[in-house]
Amino acid sequence: MEFLLEIMTEEMPASHLRSALSQLREKFTEQFKIARVGVHSLKTLGTCRRLVVLADIEANQPDEEELITGPPKQVAIQADGQYSSAALGFAKSQGVAVDSLEVVKTSKGEYLGFKRLKKGKSTEEILTEIFPDILRSLSFPRSMRWAEKNFRFSRPIKNLLCLFNSRVVGLEFEGLKSGNLTYGHFIHSPNKLKVRNFEEYYQLLKENSVLVDQEERRRSILQQFQAKLAELKAEVYSDEGLLERLLWNIECPLVIMGNFPQRFLELPIEVLSTAMREGQKLFSVVKGKKQLPYFLGLADAPADPKDFIASGNERVLKARLEDARFFWENDLRVPLAERASKLDRVLFHEKLGSYGDKQERLKKLVSYLADRLEFRGQKKDLVETAGLCKADLLTEMVREFPELQGKMGGLYAREQGYSEIVCQAIYEHYLPAGLDDPVPVSTAGAILSIADKIDTIVGVFGTGANISGSSDPFGLRRNTLGICKIILEKKFHLSLYRLLDKAISLIGDKLTISASQLKKTCLEFFESRVWFIFEKQGYRYDLIKAALGPGFEYLEEMEARLKALNELRHSKNFEPFILMVKRVKNILRESPRARLNTTWLKEKEEKELYSALKIIKKNVENMLSKGEFAAAQKMIFRLQPPLNNFFDRVLVMVEDKKIRNNRLALLAQILDLTENLADYSQIVIESEDK
Amino acid sequence: MSLQGLFLKLYDFWSKQGCYLAPTYDLEVGAGTMTPDTFFRVLGRQPWKVAYVQPARRPADGRYGENPHRVQKHFQFQVIVKPSPDDIQRIYLDSLGCLGINLREHDLRFDEDDWESPTIGAWGVGWQVMLDGLEITQFTYFQQAGGLELFPVSVEITYGLERLEMFLEEKDNIYDLQWSEEVSYRQLRYQEEKEFSVYNFEQASIKMLQSLFKETENEAQRLINLNLLLPAYDHCLKCSHLFNLLDSRGAISVTERVKLIGQIRTLVNQIARKYLEPTGES
Repeated sequence: MEFLLEIMTEEMPASHLRSALSQLREKFTEQFKIARVGVHSLKTLGTCRRLVVLADIEANQPDEEELITGPPKQVAIQADGQYSSAALGFAKSQGVAVDSLEVVKTSKGEYLGFKRLKKGKSTEEILTEIFPDILRSLSFPRSMRWAEKNFRFSRPIKNLLCLFNSRVVGLEFEGLKSGNLTYGHFIHSPNKLKVRNFEEYYQLLKENSVLVDQEERRRSILQQFQAKLAELKAEVYSDEGLLERLLWNIECPLVIMGNFPQRFLELPIEVLSTAMREGQKLFSVVKGKKQLPYFLGLADAPADPKDFIASGNERVLKARLEDARFFWENDLRVPLAERASKLDRVLFHEKLGSYGDKQERLKKLVSYLADRLEFRGQKKDLVETAGLCKADLLTEMVREFPELQGKMGGLYAREQGYSEIVCQAIYEHYLPAGLDDPVPVSTAGAILSIADKIDTIVGVFGTGANISGSSDPFGLRRNTLGICKIILEKKFHLSLYRLLDKAISLIGDKLTISASQLKKTCLEFFESRVWFIFEKQGYRYDLIKAALGPGFEYLEEMEARLKALNELRHSKNFEPFILMVKRVKNILRESPRARLNTTWLKEKEEKELYSALKIIKKNVENMLSKGEFAAAQKMIFRLQPPLNNFFDRVLVMVEDKKIRNNRLALLAQILDLTENLADYSQIVIESEDK
Repeated sequence: MSLQGLFLKLYDFWSKQGCYLAPTYDLEVGAGTMTPDTFFRVLGRQPWKVAYVQPARRPADGRYGENPHRVQKHFQFQVIVKPSPDDIQRIYLDSLGCLGINLREHDLRFDEDDWESPTIGAWGVGWQVMLDGLEITQFTYFQQAGGLELFPVSVEITYGLERLEMFLEEKDNIYDLQWSEEVSYRQLRYQEEKEFSVYNFEQASIKMLQSLFKETENEAQRLINLNLLLPAYDHCLKCSHLFNLLDSRGAISVTERVKLIGQIRTLVNQIARKYLEPTGES
């Protein structure tokens, strides 16, 4: 039977809505399950003014047989087999005939009792019970109080509509009573609407300028986009984030189109699209990669008959573009180098000093990275770039549109005649902004990005910051992830450990914790991001752990080890080999380390094992030096037959301490070799599981 | 219409809603929120309804009279209603209607925009109201002021008068607005914008401002200790304006900014706490 709930609110932020709807879906599903009400379907939909739950559920909780127990058997039934007064009293109090009582066994012993059918509650009753708790349990990124209520919600709640099987379910919540009424569009059609079921609800809302289904709104917007742009053969400069936000902000999507004077096309597309997006939330229109002097906007209205909406937006946009052009021209009057010299006055971090100080450290870091990454030819350019890269923080454009940092520096550098390598590196050095964001295209940009990020990570941790939960003001997670992504995607052969040492030494006496403690903290943080990256890529947990065994000094090697493990895990040698390594590790667990003396190897099998180890080790090391991890792992599988023979024929734990320790030393060499490749003992073998 | 026609209509509208019409406060403030008619009255349990026009001074927004919509002083129409009425959004729409705006021909949106003033330890949740893409109002449910949780919650509606009038007159340039039928905005304000921009950006004596800030801050603390809370608060407002001037002179680094704002907030928070003490309320 149909269940329809609508919670009307004042305009909720788009960022709250998706989460609120999925919480509603989960919580209702869960509560119905707990209450044993069968659910055939349940979905949520909504707009910024309404949260809607629509479900097909059973009318009742099923009836249930329950056991009522009375006095213990020895008290209830006398020696003569007659019921005692306790039993008679129990029957009377329960309103049943004493003959219908029976002896039941419970965990506490035998009792007198009876079974009775308990009628299931009606779904309406259950709804009135679960609704207040569900509503109170919704969480939002930021919630508020209003009027004289202590209750918190995303925005004030205005109205409740709740129908089950076309009948009103009487809910009460914070002074509101539910009914069968809803309201049309707040401005364009604020009529009171009486509703009997979802079909009617949906239809009446549609007639009153509300499309309640977000997917229908999305389709309508995209169709209107196409219709507006067909003639121009142009397209919308794609902005999923903006569309997603607007989709929730409006109930009645109307796409409007406007234009702006040609002269603003002199501005870079980055500036134009940002000026349009911020504030008015307009989409820019492009043809190929070229910006056209048009914009598309979304209004929450059925129509724009007098063209007020489009022309109003044009007027506002023109003023904004006027501002942007003023910034652009003004900013260009000052050479970047001159601005950079003023960065000494701009604070980067209370304990780490100014952006001027940061740039000095960046110059040394990029110079270090250029040496390590075979980029010496461009070292001079890179150092120059590092000395300019933060200058745009002092431009008016970046002050107005902070998200253009870096990009503006690159664009201004280009206008001011810097070489392409310098411009592009500045432009790209904040990339990547997240897991799905691209890394810098140019090597110089990648190097500058790593330098900037490692300096922030080491500096902020080194001056006593703690990262917890949502508090990460300097974006250390994003920065760490960024470095890993760049190293992996650019295939940089770069020692992360030594890079950390270098960055730590540059922070120098500003550190408030010891260098070794800091390095440990940073490495743990990096490891957690490495986990995150590979888990997102779908690698098995135990394989990641095994591949991390030899550490992650060179991230691209760690990745290669992981890939090799992942490919080999289906080979027939894999499991027996893992089991063998685990066996070796177990034997060595309690034993002291000793030196291997080859002259003390007596048995044929141990001599064979040793010579196999020598050859395999040489091969493996050779392969590792060439980065051939899969081949090296296959090679190491060849230890298995001689090792098998060894275990079959040779006793390790012999009385003679000298011989015993020597055999343990041989096994230790084997384990050491395997641990160059992975910590195989971390791998879960299915046969072991069972 | 004219700007004065606009605020006469708003005065009339909100007076009919039961608001007391306060005279403009006679100190430089960055926003209507900062005057005692808002700050002290949103604290505590007493209901309150007030509306007033307040010039807002933001020295760093000056553009020497050359920018068509940025000025270092603009005018706000400020409304506080406590506790926030259930139908306050509808009342607000009606106020736009009384200005002659037929909303059914436009696109009016309540766009998420939470508000915060670290200087007076205040924050709230609400929207910027956008009319055909133009921000005309800030609409906020106050959650905290002076560092204290507010109960009941007040709603604040702040109309940007020049913005609204530019919308109504379909003008692209603030200086083309009419203040009254006889007097234009340019006549009244252009020279002022020019001279104050020179003062704010070039001529204000940093040394003097710094020493005034220090002295004013000390005075505020002395007054708090004497339980003279209203004069103490005035001195906090003066500090805030001195801070804004120092900022527009480029004399404040980022650390100092945080530090100075923190100093003012500490004073304001003390005032708010004392104001609500039983002895302070009578």
